[in-house]
Amino acid sequence: MNVHSRGKPKIRAPRRTLVTNDDDFQTTWSQLEASFGQIHSKNASSISYETLYRLGYRLVLKRKGEELYNGVANFERKWLTNNVQAEVKSLLAPSLLAPVGSGAGALSTVERRELGERFLRGLKQAYQDHQVCMNMLGDVLMYLDRVYCGENHVPSIYTRAMQLFRECVLDVPAEEQNPHSVRILDVVNSIILEQVQMERDGEIIEKNILKSCVYMLEGLFVDAQESEEKKLYNVTFEPLFLRMSRDFYHDEAERLIREFDAGGYCRQTKKRLGEELDRCCSTLSESTTQKIQAVVEEELITNKLNELINMDSGANYMIINDKAEDLGLLYDLNAQVDNRKGKLSNAIHCQIIAMGDALNATILDIAASGPQAANGLTDAAIQWVDRVLTLKDKFDRFHEVSFRSDHIFQTTLAESFHHFINAPAFGRAAEFISLFIDENMKRGIKDKTDAEVDEVLEKAVVLIRYLKDQDSFEMYYKKHLSKRLLMHKSVSLDAEKLMISRMKMELGNNFTYKLESMFKDMSTSEGLTSDYKDYVSGLESTGPRRVDMIVSILTGVTWPLESASSMEELSNKPQQKVIYPDAVNRAREDFEKFYGQRHAGRILFWQPNMGTADMTVRFPGKNGSGYRQHELSVPTYGMIILMLFADLPSGESLSFAEIQAGTNIPPKELSRNLQALSVAPKTRILRKEPMSREVNETDRFFFNEGFTSQFKKVKVGLIAMRNRAETVAEQEETKKAQDKQRALVIEAAMVRIMKGRKTLSYSQLLSATIDQLSSRFKPEISMMKARIDALIDREYLARVDDASPPAVRYVA
Amino acid sequence: MVSSKHDIEAALLAEKRAISAGQLKEDNPLDLSDDFKHFCEACRRGDLKVCQEMIMQGVNINARDSFDNTPLILASLCGHYEVVQLLLESGALCERDTFQGERCLYNALNNRIRNLLLEYDYSKSTDPLQPLAAHVASLLSREHPKTSDLALVTETEVFHIHKFLAATRSPYFARRLAAAPGVRSWKVPNGLHSESLQAALRFLYLGEVTADLGEGEKEQEILTGIDKLSRQLEIPRLFEHILESGDRRLVRQRRTEEVSRGRDELDAFFRGNVVKYKIEVDTSKAEDVKWDKNNYIFADILLRADEDPLEPEAEEPPPVVRKVAGPLNGIPIGPFSSDSWSPSRTRKPRRSVLYPAHKAMLLRSEYFLTMFSSSFKEAQDTEYLQIVTIDCTPEVLEVILTFLYTEKADFGLDVAIDVLFTADLLFIEKLKVRAAQIISTLGNGGASVVEADNSRGEAGAEEIDIYDVIRAGWDTRVQRLEEFGARYLAQRLEHHIDREEFAELVKESAARVKNRQETDTVELIDDIRYELSERYRLRFEEAGIDEMEEAAGGLLQDSGSSETGQSPPQNFQSIYAPEIDGELQHGVIRTLDGEIAGDEFAQDAMNYQILLGKIDTLLASLNLDA
Repeated sequence: MNVHSRGKPKIRAPRRTLVTNDDDFQTTWSQLEASFGQIHSKNASSISYETLYRLGYRLVLKRKGEELYNGVANFERKWLTNNVQAEVKSLLAPSLLAPVGSGAGALSTVERRELGERFLRGLKQAYQDHQVCMNMLGDVLMYLDRVYCGENHVPSIYTRAMQLFRECVLDVPAEEQNPHSVRILDVVNSIILEQVQMERDGEIIEKNILKSCVYMLEGLFVDAQESEEKKLYNVTFEPLFLRMSRDFYHDEAERLIREFDAGGYCRQTKKRLGEELDRCCSTLSESTTQKIQAVVEEELITNKLNELINMDSGANYMIINDKAEDLGLLYDLNAQVDNRKGKLSNAIHCQIIAMGDALNATILDIAASGPQAANGLTDAAIQWVDRVLTLKDKFDRFHEVSFRSDHIFQTTLAESFHHFINAPAFGRAAEFISLFIDENMKRGIKDKTDAEVDEVLEKAVVLIRYLKDQDSFEMYYKKHLSKRLLMHKSVSLDAEKLMISRMKMELGNNFTYKLESMFKDMSTSEGLTSDYKDYVSGLESTGPRRVDMIVSILTGVTWPLESASSMEELSNKPQQKVIYPDAVNRAREDFEKFYGQRHAGRILFWQPNMGTADMTVRFPGKNGSGYRQHELSVPTYGMIILMLFADLPSGESLSFAEIQAGTNIPPKELSRNLQALSVAPKTRILRKEPMSREVNETDRFFFNEGFTSQFKKVKVGLIAMRNRAETVAEQEETKKAQDKQRALVIEAAMVRIMKGRKTLSYSQLLSATIDQLSSRFKPEISMMKARIDALIDREYLARVDDASPPAVRYVA
Repeated sequence: MVSSKHDIEAALLAEKRAISAGQLKEDNPLDLSDDFKHFCEACRRGDLKVCQEMIMQGVNINARDSFDNTPLILASLCGHYEVVQLLLESGALCERDTFQGERCLYNALNNRIRNLLLEYDYSKSTDPLQPLAAHVASLLSREHPKTSDLALVTETEVFHIHKFLAATRSPYFARRLAAAPGVRSWKVPNGLHSESLQAALRFLYLGEVTADLGEGEKEQEILTGIDKLSRQLEIPRLFEHILESGDRRLVRQRRTEEVSRGRDELDAFFRGNVVKYKIEVDTSKAEDVKWDKNNYIFADILLRADEDPLEPEAEEPPPVVRKVAGPLNGIPIGPFSSDSWSPSRTRKPRRSVLYPAHKAMLLRSEYFLTMFSSSFKEAQDTEYLQIVTIDCTPEVLEVILTFLYTEKADFGLDVAIDVLFTADLLFIEKLKVRAAQIISTLGNGGASVVEADNSRGEAGAEEIDIYDVIRAGWDTRVQRLEEFGARYLAQRLEHHIDREEFAELVKESAARVKNRQETDTVELIDDIRYELSERYRLRFEEAGIDEMEEAAGGLLQDSGSSETGQSPPQNFQSIYAPEIDGELQHGVIRTLDGEIAGDEFAQDAMNYQILLGKIDTLLASLNLDA
């Protein structure tokens, strides 16, 4: 470096001293001014950036920044006022100033549109030119911007020039002579609005011009602060636009609802909404999107939604006529304005309940048509389930297609189904569903593939989920299942088990525990029977032959044995014990012995009402010679009865009372069995006198020697053995049984609660109990109160004296 | 905040191992040269000027001496704030979690220095060449304004590159381009992956070459391509770079090396082309210089600087220059200027120098960036290269160009103020800082060399015009210069306090605060008062401030001249000894009023009071309240 070459380094003063001199400013400024003029007339390419920059730099360095700044501002003000403003005004056709609609005859829409476009195009051009020029000025005066503007906190040249554009071009009266006339800015706004309106009315407009003008409005500010909310667009244009749109859509909504049905209205609304959103992107500012959307939604949707849903062609119509697509549109609209979609979901709720109630009513009608129509009622029950399932399918489809699998609607649907299925006026859902499953297990799933079986089961489980009182369903199911198991009516044991496991998933372990143990009983019984067979064959090698016997050992508490109490009575009054034929009795005693060896201390109660017997009966031949042999499969009681006739000489008869005395069968059962043996035409093994449909105590019975059947094997079914819908009387019985069951459950729950909490007020205890039992059933208040009293009587609980509110405590 | 001791020890051990294994380059190599010793000595003494000179000579600022001390450790230990600042600004490392860095922090004499060190930790101690590298790397993707002049066309992509950079960085390109300087585009042979080429170009453009090269087979292909390119372009380091991307520190070191290598190549190119082919012509003919666009040094712009017309009269002392009336005060402007320079005044025709330059590098200045992005004349496409005049002397222009091309900024005090102004004009912030740094270190405000030289002479022999410096600081908004000026003036206030110029300056300083209130202070005066107290502080502390106050009150006590002999700190002696010696030579110790003082301390105390009093008088006369 030449530092050292010069000997002792010596700092040089700056080459040019900074002398202030007024002449200087004027000469420099006039040079700059001339160049600025050139820039404005688009002659920049011949001007040297370096020169201009240096001029500006010098002035700033000489503390002439302020003068320079003001000079530029004045120059621009003059330029804008004299050149740009005049040019813009010249494009302003007088008709554009007239308010829209007045003098309507004067100009057609097309003419107005073109005039408007011409004006906007001119303005846009002026603005863009100004921007370009100001950018160049900003470049040249960079030093001024950085140093002077930065230090003195004044807006940059560019910013200032944009303010000037607003002041000198937009904020001036549109009419020269009339200083109070509308400003050019207002004219711009109204032209843009008019064009938008034209587009809404179906005209094609030039969007990009509008967009450029909107850019301009967004780039300019109301004051010098330049805060985001103070854009011309936000302050002047947007409110106008929103107001005008609101008016338009208010009328539009009225028009649409007059002219279209609900589906059409939805389509139109969707289209309008789409148009507005597009318009914000393509023509106006995206910042308006949400605001205009709110306006359209409020006018077209929120205000009309009720009307829309309740129209003749509204939600109900769509549901009934399967207008999934329209319903979907309706859903979309509601979703737009309400996250919870309250109105539509409410309407759907009501509709489902209405349809469900109608369904219930139909079935109840059938049920009311007579007690003897029990079979018909069973069919009706199955039909009911079928129809409910169909309804469910329908709404599931709506849910998927129309409601976009919205989980809010899922809840609505579930609630609605729950509501009508558990309607107190109906109250037989649990029974019906169980019957439905029973039917399917016995017949329905016969020739079905696994997948189809699965589907049926799934549907059934869905319905179970809707049930409020699951304990009552459990009761029915247990009853039906036990019959299926004992009578071997199930088509597929796998399907049964599958069903159980599904219910287990759905309703929990507690629910299926007893059902599962029923299956267990069945399988242990099988093993037991074969063991017994071995045991018997050991005996037979030395003694007489025994009757073949298959025994099912049922655990007392899990199986729904009819009137358990009566069983106890039975054991207490031996005289009432059924008298079995000797052969059978021997086998029975053998088995009891065998079982006693295996399980000491267990008592077996025989349930002949639930068993069957196969027996071979010989009938005399047609012409007296030889005999016909039939294998009869009869209920155990039937077998006992028939055995009485085995020893009876031909032609003799037994009276009802004689049979009863000979068998000790409970009269009700006896009459039922006799009915099956003597009344049913295909299995008339006994002849009754007199011949009537009913069995009376005075009847006499003969062995029907003339029995014929084309089958070798004849099955005698008991009417009561089939699972069927209950008659009103049975229903009441079931209800009683259920109440008894519930009473126990409630007491157990209460004791559990009190053991933990020691002291509780009545209301707390009640709510805790309801809480605990809600998964099984909803206990009635009166029943719970009765249970509390009962517990107090039995000294599980005690009233707390002087407690307010009244309370009870646990007695340890 | 500070790593615990065993952490540092463990790191140190690992580092030692890596270094001895040759994996790492040592950050602080041992340096036993005399230059470095001299440098360390200057750091101990706090001699800013020598430090600056040594740094400019190119001594390794991060080396260590035989006691394992780095200059930074020495300066911070001895408490020289300004020296520490200079070292840090010049690239001295003080990184946390390194042994030497932590040592610096522990050693720092006071919190002020400690905080300064912490401030420079991490953020600023990055490679000083980083801005240059970043700029060059950005050129590869910069589209506007267009500066690229060569298109490399592959099957899938087109890369726009700069001939001068390609020629600078790759010997292969240099040869090819020398053969065909006018070429516009080259087709790259088929089968070469664009990614390979891209990586190679990034490397050439001093960018970070990442190892993210796709997967599996593709990666293999790309690597093969890079390997091939690396050999063809004769830049073997490229392939090594790609392969070694494991250890972060190693990568960083390699990159630092490569950037500094790139800088040296650029420097060589700059010297060998831009400077070598500069054209000196009479100013009147400068406009007629025509350079073809397709030149061998790939220049795309000519930068012109006119020599000072007053060069022949340069023997006149600077103050006179400042007061010359006439053309000098006019504003010479571009094309108009030739008229305002009356040729009769200069004895020989004015000369101009034209440097052929590359827009791509000039873009580092915002001024040029705006110029070339605009639609003004300079950005137009013309038949011959555009000539852009820069308002400075050729000497200064060369400094500017050197900085833009190479990041080097070593220039003399003589041009420093001009550089400062020009850098301000061109918006080159870093160069401004550098100019201010050079002024404030070489024109040392501390009473070391300058004061020593001056002590016997008169005030006129000062090597800088401090008034110009302060005004330049104000004009270019460099705070540091004002502080420097205050310190400078405080050190020799007795020479300045009575000058008219000084009063003028104080008035200006007062005027700088807009809407001045009665109670507002004058910044310059405040600074001077502070520095004045600093100037005398050391001595007062030595003897106890109270005692001195008393001495100032007129109760002169003979504290015995023997005190001066009581082993004062090394630096203290070196700074003040000459002055004292000078006075002692005269045999009598006098105050500034000419009164005879008992000893140096009493003299200082009295001088302090006298100077403060003079300041107050001055303010009163200027009607200023401060």
